[in-house]
Amino acid sequence: MNKIDLTFTVNGGVRTVATKPHRTLLNVLREDLDLISVKEGCSQGDCGACVVIMDGFAVNSCLVLAPQAQGSEIITLEGLAQNGELHPLQKMFIEKWAFQCGYCTPGILMSCYALLLHNPVPTPDEVKDAISGNLCRCTGYQAIIDAVMAAVAS
Amino acid sequence: MDSAHTRLHFDYNAPQSLEAGLLALRKSPGAAIIAGGTDLLPSWRGGLIHPTLVIDFKHLGLSYIKAEVNRVRIGAYTTHSQMMVSELLTGYFPALPEACRQIAAPPIRNRGTLGGNLVNASPAADTAPPLMAYDAELVLVKDGSQRVVPLDKFFIGPGETLKQPDELLAEVYIPFCEPNTASKFIKMGNRRAMAIAVASVAVRISLGKAEEVLEARIALGSVAPTPIRAREAESLLVGEKLSEDVISAAAYMAQGEVAPISDIRASKEYRSRMVEVLVKRSLLAARTELKERMTGE
Repeated sequence: MNKIDLTFTVNGGVRTVATKPHRTLLNVLREDLDLISVKEGCSQGDCGACVVIMDGFAVNSCLVLAPQAQGSEIITLEGLAQNGELHPLQKMFIEKWAFQCGYCTPGILMSCYALLLHNPVPTPDEVKDAISGNLCRCTGYQAIIDAVMAAVAS
Repeated sequence: MDSAHTRLHFDYNAPQSLEAGLLALRKSPGAAIIAGGTDLLPSWRGGLIHPTLVIDFKHLGLSYIKAEVNRVRIGAYTTHSQMMVSELLTGYFPALPEACRQIAAPPIRNRGTLGGNLVNASPAADTAPPLMAYDAELVLVKDGSQRVVPLDKFFIGPGETLKQPDELLAEVYIPFCEPNTASKFIKMGNRRAMAIAVASVAVRISLGKAEEVLEARIALGSVAPTPIRAREAESLLVGEKLSEDVISAAAYMAQGEVAPISDIRASKEYRSRMVEVLVKRSLLAARTELKERMTGE
């Protein structure tokens, strides 16, 4: 199968990657661009460990074919900190102990970031809906919701 | 025949014209259509499908919700998230965005499409019961022709539809309802998010001037090999006033029209029982809405 040239914007920079068309956005971000915050969990869209922002919306990068990302704008966890300063969500995740093993954290942060893009002042129920596709096997959900609400308040 | 090579690789084509895409579809027997990819990619990884080519119709303007005089047209590439927030749908066809809101979770709803949900033909497809309740029709196009199929004739069995391999589901028509209409959707799952329905129901009730039922639709998911209508229960309602007795009788009758299976989510006995409960609940909710609207005016 022929490779295709995938040109898209990742964390603000334009990137071009030659990839076989059956690979996923997850494969390209993690393996070709070394953005290792993007994790593979279930590969079925159930766990949310691979969530990134695509054109302003949270998506499971394991369910997006690389060529489907042609021309899109992607943000991963690596793109949240600005000028060396962590995003308020990241700061509050640290302050509120909103992770334990940390495997689900990048996906959860991106789901929460997507929520705040569209809804800067969400209710706790809206936060729960936003992370309803992210599994945390340490079951630290309450601390996560607390952290998002604290970030909103700040 | 089924080598690892053919299973693990495929080409990708995002045509710039519908004609080119439909031609590619007709000429490539091993092609699969991709939209959101939320069902296609897990099926491919699970070895259930082995496409040699995936064709993505995303450039062809198939993502829209627009009103005409008698109907609304929804493009097959419209996502669940787009339907959830559509004022046109929440205003005139509220059971559909309600069903979309209960699908999986945001990352899936942001990618998964109406066309994909229907063409996959899961008995549990969340958009199917509301669309059946609204008498939706599907537009199937292929190289050189198109046809319109009523949704309640579209499903043949689990994963099987009338759509031929060289056809694309392009859009869905929903006729506007009678003025005095209420519609409801209830999904019962084992969790509130990321759950495949144990049973689901959509109802649409239109009342006449004497508050008699003019039209009734009861559509059910996850309780038969395909989404189905409970036609006998619908007939029982027509011409009657929506008393609690009539509603109970219709709900009981609906239970007799389903053919559920036992699986990891629920037993067939439980599903049958829940059909009666859910139909009754949704009809009562529709009645409440109709009553409130009458006293409000």
